[in-house]
Amino acid sequence: MADPQPPQRAARIAQQDEADLVVRAAAGDRAAFGVLVERYAGVARRVARAVLGSPEDADDAAQDALLSALVKLDQYDPRRPFGPWLLRIVANAATDRRRRRTVRRVEPLDAGLTAGGPRPDTTTERRALGERLRQALGELPERRRMAVVLFDVEGYTHAEIAAVLGIPEGTVRSEVFHARRRLRALLADWKEEV
Amino acid sequence: MKEPLPFDHRPDTMLGEALRRALDPGDAAPFVARVLARAAEARVASWDAVLARWARAGVAAAVLVALATGYLVGRASAAPTPRPSVYDALMAPPAHPGEVEIVLASVIGN
Repeated sequence: MADPQPPQRAARIAQQDEADLVVRAAAGDRAAFGVLVERYAGVARRVARAVLGSPEDADDAAQDALLSALVKLDQYDPRRPFGPWLLRIVANAATDRRRRRTVRRVEPLDAGLTAGGPRPDTTTERRALGERLRQALGELPERRRMAVVLFDVEGYTHAEIAAVLGIPEGTVRSEVFHARRRLRALLADWKEEV
Repeated sequence: MKEPLPFDHRPDTMLGEALRRALDPGDAAPFVARVLARAAEARVASWDAVLARWARAGVAAAVLVALATGYLVGRASAAPTPRPSVYDALMAPPAHPGEVEIVLASVIGN
């Protein structure tokens, strides 16, 4: 199943609509909670994966966050957008899970991947690029990873990301800038090779 | 490659799309189903916890009410009956009036 609601569109969903869904979900309406989960499953899983790397860990963290959000729905302020409120819970869940991991393997970016190396055949190009980007993301500080994913992938504004990460808006801009510089360089190398 | 402006406020669509593909979590349906199933379990568990809390409170209240009722009933049955005064004993109708008549008749007869 594809994302039922692309995040860029999700960000534009009428706030009142989401506030109504939240009220219904908090009152025990499972269908309303289901709509919220479907709407935000994609972005929650991507953000968690940006933090954790492993898709399995990311799904566990995203699930924990969504269930935690269900419990805390009565704390949500319906005058504010729902997405950043939820993603803050997701970011915290992913960060907590990463901290709990007893052993965290930080593998440096493969020299062959950063500096070119043998060109992969065409059938694996996209997969290899994805692997490169994930590795490059993994080398970035956690907050920088989330900032660039929320901005360039999910389409959130600097102000919204600041609310998600609990940092000043200017810091978000800086984090996005530094992350982009690193990732764009990697993409440029990739294009030159291909 | 052109160095981006430090505070570029526009999302980079090319980088964003590449990252989106790299972080693609795959099919959402099983994930959504799993979350909803866990949510349903959590809801049932929370209701059980609520009922268990109320059950404990209910048992405690019932015990208190039973103790209070027992105390009041016991106290009421153990209370002593007031003893009749001399006046009451003299003025009360005789329990066996025949005996008085017999005594009087025998006195008069003698």
